[in-house]
Amino acid sequence: MRLPDSVTGSFLVVLGTAAAYGGWLLPPVPGQPVGPNVFPLVIGIGLALCGLAIVFGIGHTFEEEEVLIPLDGQTAAAPPPQGKLYGLRALLPPALLLFYVVAADRLGFIITAAIMVYVTSTALGAKWKLALPLAALAPFAIHLIFGKLLRVPLPAGLLPTPW
Amino acid sequence: MLKTLIEAFALISTWEVIIAMFAASVYGLVIGSLPGLSATMATALLVPVTFYLSPIAAIATIVAASSMAIFSGDIPGALLRIPGTPASAAYADEAYAMTRKGQAELALGAGVWFSAVGGIAGVLSLMILAPPLAEIALSFSTFEYFWLALLGLMCATLVARSSPVKAIAGMFLGLLVSCIGIENPGGVPRFTFGLTDLFGGIEPIPALVGVFAVAQVMRAMLTPEPPPLPRRKFGSIMAGQWMLTKKYHWQMTRGNIVGIIIGVLPGAGADMAAWVSYAMSKRFSKEPEKFGTGHVEGLVEAGASNNASIASGWVPSLLFGIPGDTIAAIAIGVLYMKGLNPGPTLFTEKASSMYAIYLMFIIANILMIPLGIAMIRVAAYILLAPRSGIMPIIMLCCAVGSFAIGNNMFGVVTVAAFGVIGYVMEANGYPVAAMVLGIVMGTMVEQAFVTSLIKSDGSILPFFERPVAAILAAMAIGALLWPVMVWVWRKVKPVRTGVAATSR
Repeated sequence: MRLPDSVTGSFLVVLGTAAAYGGWLLPPVPGQPVGPNVFPLVIGIGLALCGLAIVFGIGHTFEEEEVLIPLDGQTAAAPPPQGKLYGLRALLPPALLLFYVVAADRLGFIITAAIMVYVTSTALGAKWKLALPLAALAPFAIHLIFGKLLRVPLPAGLLPTPW
Repeated sequence: MLKTLIEAFALISTWEVIIAMFAASVYGLVIGSLPGLSATMATALLVPVTFYLSPIAAIATIVAASSMAIFSGDIPGALLRIPGTPASAAYADEAYAMTRKGQAELALGAGVWFSAVGGIAGVLSLMILAPPLAEIALSFSTFEYFWLALLGLMCATLVARSSPVKAIAGMFLGLLVSCIGIENPGGVPRFTFGLTDLFGGIEPIPALVGVFAVAQVMRAMLTPEPPPLPRRKFGSIMAGQWMLTKKYHWQMTRGNIVGIIIGVLPGAGADMAAWVSYAMSKRFSKEPEKFGTGHVEGLVEAGASNNASIASGWVPSLLFGIPGDTIAAIAIGVLYMKGLNPGPTLFTEKASSMYAIYLMFIIANILMIPLGIAMIRVAAYILLAPRSGIMPIIMLCCAVGSFAIGNNMFGVVTVAAFGVIGYVMEANGYPVAAMVLGIVMGTMVEQAFVTSLIKSDGSILPFFERPVAAILAAMAIGALLWPVMVWVWRKVKPVRTGVAATSR
């Protein structure tokens, strides 16, 4: 997800200004010259200035473009399909984590984890022969380590573990 | 001295420490050898487990896992030309060229041997440097701490292989994240938007897991799977290493020293050490034309360098709470959690714990030789594991681990959010390491800054009055202006751009 520098820079300007303004609004500590408001103010201004510099392309000459090393001896893999939706695949992992937050208490750890494993595995190109056993076994293994050995209170939900 | 040493031995010779260290070594070797899973990520995912261990065992796991992972990144680098960790990227081409010449044993053996030597050199630097620095640090006031922290942050932006402006922006972002919560000079809720979950602030560890682990899974979604490793028989791995040591002892020493210096610099870690050392090795070599064709010299120097930086990165962490690299940033979090708050007094009050840390580093580096050889021999089987089988487990560990840190779901939300932030930043050339340092050091910088301002009654002058503070201030401001000077230099002498670019 490569955005133009003007977009990321402008975003930083807005964020920095908002932070400085938010810091400005904080109440000072009575009787003291500085309080919780100074630090966000300084950072916000700094961030906004950096954002401006990025918009104007200052420092761009320092950037080293990442060189992809071509693999010799074997033909490089076919170029990944470039569609509009293809880039959205990257958002799957955080989406699954949010799904865990929402569903874990209701469905329980084992079921939620199994769904997460299956979806991630399939999205990375696994056949069901790998994804299904993995989804069945991995949650139990993780539960054994974290829930049983380390005593993390993982939610039981619909399917409590046998231990 | 002897008494503390014996105490330290007693501390580490418990079954818990021994088992934890061994398990963490194997874990570090496996994670480090898998392409795309870095040493920092290995360490970050280990943190939730350390909660349930005794302080020494917790540190043992981090020491062992990080040292091993940095070495084992060399394995896929040499065999597949895909570095397992960023720290091996500098010389993956060279090692792969050696493999193609039929010298895979020599390349991997050099990786194990010089990593272990480098690691031990790093520990020695930690043992020698830390106590005298602690003496000096005892006289530091908030002014010095402020400049020191600022210098640390500036160093992190200087060494980033990206635009310095973007690095500074990344640092400010991290500092802004550290502003969230009520832990500030006024004790008022700041940037919490009324959410009670944000009152406690953003924990650095879930943020780190998000930036280093979740972002990596996100990248894996869009990149093609690396090719499988061809199976091969290995001859003797350690044969010829002693000869190399004798032949290249000067390169090895130089690599060690460069690694130690880069490790001590805040923010610059093993990957930077390897790049600089490899470049130096080529520059000063008697036979630079052989570089890139499968020449072991650069491997010796860079391998000795990146492991040396791991231990020396603990020097500023233990003394000032300023992380020497991202792994040390995680270690600081664990130190605080275990009641070993970083600071100069750590070396007098908890001397035996410090000695225990030194000892564990030495043991981990000795253990690296047999375990490393075993790992090289089984690597072909481990690298058979498809990415679609590993990444789901990483995801589960992220979810459960971040939940375990505070036993609340907000940790999981933090991990997801920082995964996205880390992914977007990385894709657009903003170095995430700078942001991570900002998050870890933010509270400290603010405290030093605000306390200093209160002491000086709002005046800036006392920031420069004490001699040490003035020196540190000059260094920090110099670090800030350095990119500007390089830029001007390039404008004035356009012919010599190449030299200016590498000397940065």
